[in-house]
Amino acid sequence: MKRVRFNLIVVAIAALTTAGLSSCKGKTDTDTTNKTADTTSSTTTTAPVEVSSDEALLSGVKDATKDYPTVTATVENGVVTLTGTLERSKLQDLMQSIHNLKPRDVKQQLTLI
Amino acid sequence: MAVQQKYQELINAARTAGVGNLQVREQNNVLYIDGQAPSGQVKDQLWNIYNRIDPDYRSGDLVLDIKTTNASGSKAKVVTEKSNLNIRKGPGTDQPIVGKAAHHELITVVSQTNDEWTLVRTDAGEEGYVYNRYLERVPSP
Repeated sequence: MKRVRFNLIVVAIAALTTAGLSSCKGKTDTDTTNKTADTTSSTTTTAPVEVSSDEALLSGVKDATKDYPTVTATVENGVVTLTGTLERSKLQDLMQSIHNLKPRDVKQQLTLI
Repeated sequence: MAVQQKYQELINAARTAGVGNLQVREQNNVLYIDGQAPSGQVKDQLWNIYNRIDPDYRSGDLVLDIKTTNASGSKAKVVTEKSNLNIRKGPGTDQPIVGKAAHHELITVVSQTNDEWTLVRTDAGEEGYVYNRYLERVPSP
């Protein structure tokens, strides 16, 4: 009888210890949750900007300025520079044509009359 | 991002007006906006906003590549200042002139070759290429 009681005490201690350990286990890692930023919804796919070759730009610029003999256009490394004089009322039409050629940039240095 | 903020009104207007394939990209402090406008009026409206934000387009910080398409089989009006429009054998001002279309004449679009040139046919049967700047789309009846 004495022996059985001893065994029961051992089992009880073992059970308590296990319960204590497992309750500790449950407290782990609550403050180190990985928060991964959700960037996919705010960014769109961005292909590099397409810029025409200087040769293509030169040919396009020639056509675009043909009816504006007072305008001089030069092309260098994708950048179109406009100099000379032009009536302000014609500027938008000319600029639209130049921008449609896919230049890297347009330097508008015309004297507007 | 600074350049994009400068032209935010223009970007918003392009979205509202239903510009197709709209792309807005910034590279080396130049903003590139391209897309397909549903009409020439929308394109002009966007250019007017551009001119208001950046008077006379002098800053060189935006490339606004907005296109309009002339649909095959549709009619287009010749919108030269007052002169006739040259019809050329090929798409380029170095190509020989094969005909003329009168100021405000209605001509038929055969196909749009590229952003600059369109193959057209006049009622008189002349066929060749004209510069897109001088064509205005006419809505089909």
